[in-house]
Amino acid sequence: MTIAWWQILLLTCLAFWVIIDQLTVSILNNPLAIGMVSGIIMGDITTGLAVGSTLQLMVLGVSTYGGASMPDFMTGAIVGTVYAVLSGKGIQFAIGLAVPVGLLMVQLDVLARFINTIFQHRMDKFIKENNPDSAARNALWGTFSWGLSRAIPVFILLIVGNDVVRMILRVIPTWLTNGLKVSGGILPVVGIAILLRYLPTKRFISYLAIGFIAASYMKIPMLGVALLGAALAYIHYQREVAKLEEKPATTNTNNTESEEYENDEGEYEN
Amino acid sequence: MTKANTKTNSGKLTKRDLFRANWRWLWGSQLSWNYERMMAPGYFYAVLPFLKRWYKDDELVEMMQMQTQFFNVNAYVGNFIIGVDLALEESQGIKSKDTVAGIKTGLMGPLAGIGDTIFSAIIPTICGSIGAYMGLRGNPLGSILWILVDIIILFLRFSFLPMGYYQGTKLIDSASGKLNAITDSAILLGVTVVGALIPTVIKAKVPYIFHTGKITLKMQTILNQIMPSLVPVLLVTLVYWLLGKKGVTSTKMIWFVLILGIVLSYFHILG
Repeated sequence: MTIAWWQILLLTCLAFWVIIDQLTVSILNNPLAIGMVSGIIMGDITTGLAVGSTLQLMVLGVSTYGGASMPDFMTGAIVGTVYAVLSGKGIQFAIGLAVPVGLLMVQLDVLARFINTIFQHRMDKFIKENNPDSAARNALWGTFSWGLSRAIPVFILLIVGNDVVRMILRVIPTWLTNGLKVSGGILPVVGIAILLRYLPTKRFISYLAIGFIAASYMKIPMLGVALLGAALAYIHYQREVAKLEEKPATTNTNNTESEEYENDEGEYEN
Repeated sequence: MTKANTKTNSGKLTKRDLFRANWRWLWGSQLSWNYERMMAPGYFYAVLPFLKRWYKDDELVEMMQMQTQFFNVNAYVGNFIIGVDLALEESQGIKSKDTVAGIKTGLMGPLAGIGDTIFSAIIPTICGSIGAYMGLRGNPLGSILWILVDIIILFLRFSFLPMGYYQGTKLIDSASGKLNAITDSAILLGVTVVGALIPTVIKAKVPYIFHTGKITLKMQTILNQIMPSLVPVLLVTLVYWLLGKKGVTSTKMIWFVLILGIVLSYFHILG
């Protein structure tokens, strides 16, 4: 299968919007949705969903980094979906390609954030000159540094994509393609582990076990486990509120608890 | 401070004004995010129309400079601070400069904590787990549901700024107990879902087969009898433990797992 020019155009616009969406309205702010939209553009929604889902599971906890650059698996979802559809080599193989793309995108993310520092300094200058409107304009020019940091690499990857994918497929040995498939299968481990680090898991470890047992031994589907969790959460909420009404001075213990998991977060943040 | 204009700003802000500040925050808050002062350009952009309305000349420059100082918060709930700020500046004028600067830095920490936990960790965990679980089976419903949830949240975000404007800082104190209970319950739900994720989404099969005489024994079957999804549990434990080491980042872990998968596949331990 080949890619049409209008598909390249739409996917490039999507790449531009992905980061702007993340910074503003946050409606398509996840690899799953981006995978789905890319799948629709490529005419293969199932593949898009599968690529998006796998990447989604890897980044579950990653979005908890405040202000730090993180692997951009939304851009990865666009590229991964396209490659999965074009190569026909399966989803897990495409994941093996999408992951490095998402990781390399970190460098361009850093670049965009640096360029924005220039706008900050221009703002300072205009404010000194009492020129508020020009200063305000500089607060929005980041649109282009952010948007282009995603759109340009995706455009380039898609333009050269057809031939490069074919060439890569010819060169890659079987042990590596098989290996990438296995990696694609176990990569969600990272997202789950980061999330467990971020959340105060130790305090809620029994609920982790309940969720696990429900899904693995009792084969309850995910939505069922979520409902079970919601029921347990409601019980917990009622108890906490009852405790608050008994003696309103419990806020102190809550404070120490929140400090505790800030430490947990600090453990892996570099 | 030149020529102190002590006249307070008359004329209450209308709902339309508050909506306008919210709207400008929504679009501007992070577009010029930069390493030096993070969300400062966005905050400045959101409050600028009011600064222009309330101050002139040197005072305007002074307040504009104050509003472009370092600022970083969770974008979903940070507009609460703008509400508090506008209420203060409206009644106190330029006298509020130091108070506003203090409130901005004082509130951004706690609000970032609440916002990041609820909107960046728990909701993506729950929606992402369900959506990805369905998506892997080719069902778009989970993803569409998540988009709908995001749209609802988008509307919800418009209520935080008026909340700050009308209730001010006292709200954070009075509601903090209940807020903690809600956050805790949400975390509980998130952790339960993550527990179910481990056996359902991690694909790690052991292909090894024993041959002793006429009996063949699949390694995976033996492992399943010890515990279903034993390998995924071990992998999560390993990565969780490694993440606790100094200098280990998520990016390094992704590379590690990527290579680990290739190596384990090469030796036919996983496949």
